[in-house]
Amino acid sequence: MVEYKKQYYPGASVVSKNRQKHMDPTKELEKLREVSDEDVVLIMGHKAPGEAYKSVHPPLEEIGEPDCPIRELVKPTDGAKAGDRIRYAQFTDSMYFAPSTPYVRAWMMHYRYRGVDVGTLSGRWIVEARERDVEKIAKDLLETEVYEPALCSMRGATVHGHSLRLLENGLMFDMLRRTELGDDGNVYYVKNQIGEPLDKRISVGKPLSEDERTKRTTIYRKDGSEKETIDKEVLDFIQRIHKSRSMAGFQLNI
Amino acid sequence: MVEDKKFIKALSKKFAEDPKGRKMTKVGLGIEQSARKKEFKEWGEKISKERGISGYDPMAHLGGIPLGQRVLMPYKLSTTDTYCEGDDLHFVNNAAMQQFWDDIRRTVIVGLDTAHNVLEKRLGKEVTPETINEYLHIINHAMPGAAVVQEHMVETHPGLVDDCYVKIFTGDDNIADEIEDQYLIDINKLFPEDQAKQLKEAIGKSLWQAVHIPTTVVRTCDGGTTKRWSAMQISMAMIDAYRLCAGEAAVADFAYAAKHAAAVDLASILPSRRARGPNEPGGLQFGILGDIVQTNRIYPEDPARASLEVVAAGTMLYDQIWLGSYMSGGVGFTQYATAAYTDDILDDFTYYGVDYINKKYGGIGKAPATMDTVLDIATEVTLYALEQYEEYPTLLEDHFGGSQRAGVGAAGTAISCSLATGHAQAGLSGWYLHMLLHKEKHGRLGFYGYDLQDQCGSTNTFSIRGDEGAPLELRGPNYPNYAMNVGHQGEYAGISAAAHYAVGDAYVLSPIVKVTFADPSLKFDFSKVREEFARGALREFYPAGERSLIIPAR
Repeated sequence: MVEYKKQYYPGASVVSKNRQKHMDPTKELEKLREVSDEDVVLIMGHKAPGEAYKSVHPPLEEIGEPDCPIRELVKPTDGAKAGDRIRYAQFTDSMYFAPSTPYVRAWMMHYRYRGVDVGTLSGRWIVEARERDVEKIAKDLLETEVYEPALCSMRGATVHGHSLRLLENGLMFDMLRRTELGDDGNVYYVKNQIGEPLDKRISVGKPLSEDERTKRTTIYRKDGSEKETIDKEVLDFIQRIHKSRSMAGFQLNI
Repeated sequence: MVEDKKFIKALSKKFAEDPKGRKMTKVGLGIEQSARKKEFKEWGEKISKERGISGYDPMAHLGGIPLGQRVLMPYKLSTTDTYCEGDDLHFVNNAAMQQFWDDIRRTVIVGLDTAHNVLEKRLGKEVTPETINEYLHIINHAMPGAAVVQEHMVETHPGLVDDCYVKIFTGDDNIADEIEDQYLIDINKLFPEDQAKQLKEAIGKSLWQAVHIPTTVVRTCDGGTTKRWSAMQISMAMIDAYRLCAGEAAVADFAYAAKHAAAVDLASILPSRRARGPNEPGGLQFGILGDIVQTNRIYPEDPARASLEVVAAGTMLYDQIWLGSYMSGGVGFTQYATAAYTDDILDDFTYYGVDYINKKYGGIGKAPATMDTVLDIATEVTLYALEQYEEYPTLLEDHFGGSQRAGVGAAGTAISCSLATGHAQAGLSGWYLHMLLHKEKHGRLGFYGYDLQDQCGSTNTFSIRGDEGAPLELRGPNYPNYAMNVGHQGEYAGISAAAHYAVGDAYVLSPIVKVTFADPSLKFDFSKVREEFARGALREFYPAGERSLIIPAR
């Protein structure tokens, strides 16, 4: 029997390959910028840097867990071990070739991380997890290729912007103006994700070129790098799913 | 191909910039760019001063950043030349929208045949065209709330209930000829010949009363009041018209017939978790809405237009009023719903589909109702719609978000499938294929709750067993998967109607509902839903149920 190799997503187009890469945990996401742990905490805005994590239960070691095969099988995350509360990180991705999209983020999260609860909408995507875990996730999401400083931003509320035209300086619209383009070409967070002003400006680097964006994106657009409205293999696959589901629902003997 | 995109005119006016431009130049203008928001602000200040309690204050929005950081744009009511502000399309600000729902909720259709049988067989009374006309004279006195039998009764002021009346209709031309014009809904005059023929065959010799109780009554009470109010007045009018004993048991037959046996509600009651009485929006089946809307009667050669009017009616009723207020509260649902009937966007997608159908299948209603047809048309229209959002950034920006894109794109797709095949389930199947394609292409769809039903919709499209599915015409807002998700129900009504309009059916589900709402005496003109909403937005619509006669002048 031929060994099954997980494909993650249909298609061989640029967009399909990018989706496959985002989802495949064996492939390392390219790190494009450095954001310090302290700055990640500041942007998230759930606690002050250095402040102790608030907990909702004692550490698991102190509780003494019951004898349970599932608990033996599923190892707790660091945040769960410590009893951290659940907090969130939320991102908005522009439709103008941001590297990720809400569903791709959700799929990626389930393949790459544990102990996460994601919410997928059209204009934003949220991940909730134990606080120290979500901080690590947010750091990954800010530093790697799934983030583009002008086209992505962390927004806890008033997320409007994903489908709006870009500002004249190229940034995605944000009613609360949480980020700004510096004279040095870098994008800076000046407010945290919920819109509270920060005491310092936090750089998340320079926006990518349009050419680079279209090579890295996970949205199929007819004005993308391959001028492809959707990958043919993806299209066939969706039609097959739709047809199969329809037939299954129709058959009275199922 | 559609050479002139229907939405270009609206986009050009709304944004006053190149519709294909990717950069926005008007940022941070605030509420000053909107006449309506400024009006709200002035009123907020006035009211706060007068009552001594603070009220509307735009600076309370997000710690002092008011609305209008992006363009606060006007909206064009599709197919009309009317532009209004988004606020004008909230039903609280739009008297036409209120009357649209009031006219449905205050209506009950009551058969006369049972009552006439009781009169003739049990009581030995003669029923003739003359007695029927006399009864109608009396019921039009009594129905608004006037006395006909008892002394020492209070009555309602005729000026407050002038929208209340009763007319009758029948499929029998001979009987119809004997009814005074003022009381008759004349099928022959109101419908095209072939539609009139279908309706008269379906209705036959039976006689039906279209009863519209006062708007002010259903506003004070609820839709469940309608047939109770109606039945009481019908029973009293029968006593008067046929000189009956007010206390004899036979009168109970009239009451029972008027309230139960011969009464047809527009909407059914709901289960306790969404508890509402009859004639409330949650029980209004999609097929019935297709019969309430009358555009297919006025434009029988343009089934796409007629379907789009149903979508407008449905999104307003189901999204803005039912889900948006009855079930949820707040104002957000209006922003979702309006996308389906503003700026000619859904119109563009739908007529693209019509163009494709005409070229490929030789006309509307001629394609086989098969999965292959659905895959073909739904894929074609879906990709067209999504590409428009890519090509015209202002189109993308016109909508609030992805749920609107999904609802509008899927509606254009599904209506096209319905129109092509004359089959509502084929249309519905197109809807769900659109959703799957849309989600994969753009990597996003609506919000979690919005997407829920669309992820599993393919599977229940062709299920017809109870609790698993039903023909789309018979589904409604309380269908299990559809019960709480904005941006679907009005579109479903349009999809089910499109299938019937496509093949020239005079009605979708109920011939008597179709005839009842053809009545030109109704306050709201159900043949031109979007035009009426536009009149409401422009503050040109005069509703019923006003109380100026009994309150001090302002």
